[in-house]
Amino acid sequence: MIEFAEWLQATPFSEAIQAAGWLVPLLQSIHILMIGVVFVSILTIALRVLELVRMDQGFADVWRRFAPWMWTGIVVMTLTGALLVAAEPVREFTSTSFWIKMLLLAVGIASAIVFRRSLAPMVLAGDTAHEFSPGIKIGAIATVVLWLAIIFLGRAIAYDVEIWGVLSLSS
Amino acid sequence: MRTTVRAVPIVEAIHVMAIAVVFGTILVVDLRLLGVRDTKRPYTQVSRELLVWTWAAFVVAAVTGAMMFAANAMTYYQNTPFRLKLLAIAAAGLNMLVFHFVTGRNVDEWDTERTAPAGGRVAGALSILIWTTVIVLGRWIGFTKGYDFSIPEEVDLDALGSGIDVLLDFGDALPSGAPPSDAAP
Repeated sequence: MIEFAEWLQATPFSEAIQAAGWLVPLLQSIHILMIGVVFVSILTIALRVLELVRMDQGFADVWRRFAPWMWTGIVVMTLTGALLVAAEPVREFTSTSFWIKMLLLAVGIASAIVFRRSLAPMVLAGDTAHEFSPGIKIGAIATVVLWLAIIFLGRAIAYDVEIWGVLSLSS
Repeated sequence: MRTTVRAVPIVEAIHVMAIAVVFGTILVVDLRLLGVRDTKRPYTQVSRELLVWTWAAFVVAAVTGAMMFAANAMTYYQNTPFRLKLLAIAAAGLNMLVFHFVTGRNVDEWDTERTAPAGGRVAGALSILIWTTVIVLGRWIGFTKGYDFSIPEEVDLDALGSGIDVLLDFGDALPSGAPPSDAAP
């Protein structure tokens, strides 16, 4: 893996991103803006599942309002994230936080897809009286915690040794 | 805080989470003003519901931001993007006050309309623009404020990479394996 990271870091593509000094901060800024869009979208959907917000709307309306922003945000975050990895692959690949973040991200995206598929047609048709099962409600809370962990780990990539000590891949 | 190595990433991570909530919730309100989303719900309903979250998150962002400043006051104070960021936050506050007390005073007249009148739409668009600027400037600080030289004593610089690279380089541009850089979300 480290050989791959070193190879990628030496490619003209990676070097071009590194050479343009403004590109990495710009990509990171877009990445953070999208964190705002995605996290608030997920938070709103989760709080609606818990029946804490937007109770004047059916779940379908809330889903239609926020799901497209969530998916678009996730795509943009993945793209900017991939470019940031391409710019500094060794730094990312030798970070324990990075790998745990990727794992949790896969869980987060997979659970969003599973949740969407589990939504019965009647829910999406706008059944305002629909109430979610306790299991789904616990899942909604877990999802919010999961995405907070993903945000934390993203910031923690820059501090791998401080966070993980001997468990850091770069120590 | 500088010497408590683990505190820095935790405070910064909470800062990012708070920023995410501030920007994400304000965006929803702004998009309602612009008539892009939530047009069937009254503006005041959307804003009352969300601005509580915005303010709570803003307080968290301000407190964690103040902690980061306190840990490195001189470097931040002399940093141009940091100063511009404070100005941009002030501009966001001004935009909010103008909307609250001038252009948005007649909200009752257009609360259920699909879009706000020109004044409200301008406030919404400006808000998105200014908060985007705040986030870009915040990220820029990490690339310009330079490396914090007060490295914790237990970090062995020699073991981490060539000393001259460390001294010449700035936080975010540090080669991998170098001391903690203050980069990347």
